[in-house]
Amino acid sequence: MQLKKRRRGNVRKSLARISAGLLAAALPPLAGQAAAQSYYDDASGTRNNNFGPGFTYSQLDAALLVYQEAGGRVGAIEPTANLSMHAADGRQLSIGGVADSVSGATPNGAVPSNLPQNFVTPIKAQGSSASVTSASGGSTIIKLPPTPGQLATAALGRQYTVPANTLPMDKGFHDHRAALNGAWAQPLGGITEIGVGAGYSRESDYQSITANTHLSQNFNANNTTMSLSLNSEFDSSFPFGGIPTPLSVMNAQWKTQSTRDKTQLGFVLGLTQVMTRSWLTQFNYAFDQQSGYQNDPYRIVSVVDPASGVPTQSLYENRPQSRQSNSFYWDNKLDLGPTVTDLSLRYFTDSWGIKSVTADLAERLNLGSAFYVEPSARYYHQSAANFFHSYLVGGQALPAYATSDSRLGSFTGTTFGAKLGWIVSKRSEFYVKGEYYAQSGNSHPAGAIGQLKQQDLFPKTSAAIAFIGYSWDFH
Amino acid sequence: MRTAARTVFLAGMALALAGCASLGPKPWEKDLMARHEMLVDPYPLQTAAEDHVYFSKEASSGGRGFAGGGCGCN
Repeated sequence: MQLKKRRRGNVRKSLARISAGLLAAALPPLAGQAAAQSYYDDASGTRNNNFGPGFTYSQLDAALLVYQEAGGRVGAIEPTANLSMHAADGRQLSIGGVADSVSGATPNGAVPSNLPQNFVTPIKAQGSSASVTSASGGSTIIKLPPTPGQLATAALGRQYTVPANTLPMDKGFHDHRAALNGAWAQPLGGITEIGVGAGYSRESDYQSITANTHLSQNFNANNTTMSLSLNSEFDSSFPFGGIPTPLSVMNAQWKTQSTRDKTQLGFVLGLTQVMTRSWLTQFNYAFDQQSGYQNDPYRIVSVVDPASGVPTQSLYENRPQSRQSNSFYWDNKLDLGPTVTDLSLRYFTDSWGIKSVTADLAERLNLGSAFYVEPSARYYHQSAANFFHSYLVGGQALPAYATSDSRLGSFTGTTFGAKLGWIVSKRSEFYVKGEYYAQSGNSHPAGAIGQLKQQDLFPKTSAAIAFIGYSWDFH
Repeated sequence: MRTAARTVFLAGMALALAGCASLGPKPWEKDLMARHEMLVDPYPLQTAAEDHVYFSKEASSGGRGFAGGGCGCN
């Protein structure tokens, strides 16, 4: 036990030194900043990371998310960490990082058929035959007929076969992502807080750069806070196989265009109010504008025979290049002694015709001073985008936009979860949370044609989510 | 219709702010608000992870914070 305590102290001292070094580099010294006071020997009790005025402290958060969908579909592992350094006068510097690894089968957008279906996608011309095997999803390498004007890499393609009466999925999906972010905030004159932040995220076929700034002001003896946050995002999509021509027939050729971009601008206007000794409420309005490439470059939509309903073609999807969204968010926290209730409601609407409602409820129950449990439930329902089609009908004119992505269709999502927390000391906490998430939609829409009447046209998703986190405040 | 809704919303915000002046506890009554679990977002990594999952699986994002996910997850 002695050894453990000493080792923990060494780690703490090391982190404290690193933190102090970073702060010293970023912040000029302040009177009283160096004042040291031991909080670590406090008995376990209510967590309190307010070290009081005049103290510099840091907060280290580390967590691991594990996500797994049923039926061998998408799974993800995502470790994340964040270090925040708080100076005595309210200045804050935080840096964080996220990594994730995602793999599994994902619906390609086609409808099921009473006949087996073949799909083709590009592969790299060299060395790909070794990496694409039957073990990686029943894929085979095919030779493509030479096409004038195509890239040299168009000589080979990947084909996978989906059995009859089965939801078509591509099992070759895998990706890795790494992201970094940093933020600075401080009081400025009479302004309670002003801050800036930036983030960078990179995966094998996507890159995102974000920058944001915010301003907040307290009123009424600090019972009221008004805030305004601005966000900008610049994303680049460079899908494997290139950018497909919208609504063209799916094929294994490498496309000549490799990259498309998207820009995003948004703001959040917020009002937070302490209503009573035990009731805190927050109201946010968020607006967001996205312009540019918003297609899922791997996703297709089936064209079916108008009589039999059998798919005859697979077309790459197409979405509008502009999207505006509005969110109205209301959150309430109510402290009733042994319990803390958190209830939030959100109404969302966008220019694609999607409307959604979200209700999220969590009830924290303190078990003595060192432990708590927090059961939670979430309800979500959205209507479909106005260009959502489970399939297109052959012989009819093509619409300008079409997607069969169920995430843009109408569905209901429900989540049930429970969290267990352990207040290790007044300055540190360990917690685990487990959740179950399920989507349900209309599997048999009216007007289904031929064999589609017998098929399940909503690709149900259910997932288990585990989250483990540790938080530590230190000098 | 949308413009009217925005006007009503902004007017509501202004009225709410004016009405806030008489709301809230005195400084010596803020013991409960000082507790960690009464922060607006006491577990930001957990919030970020959940928002990331929902951003990847649903069409709506934003409200609690910015819309979008800063990644190609959707």
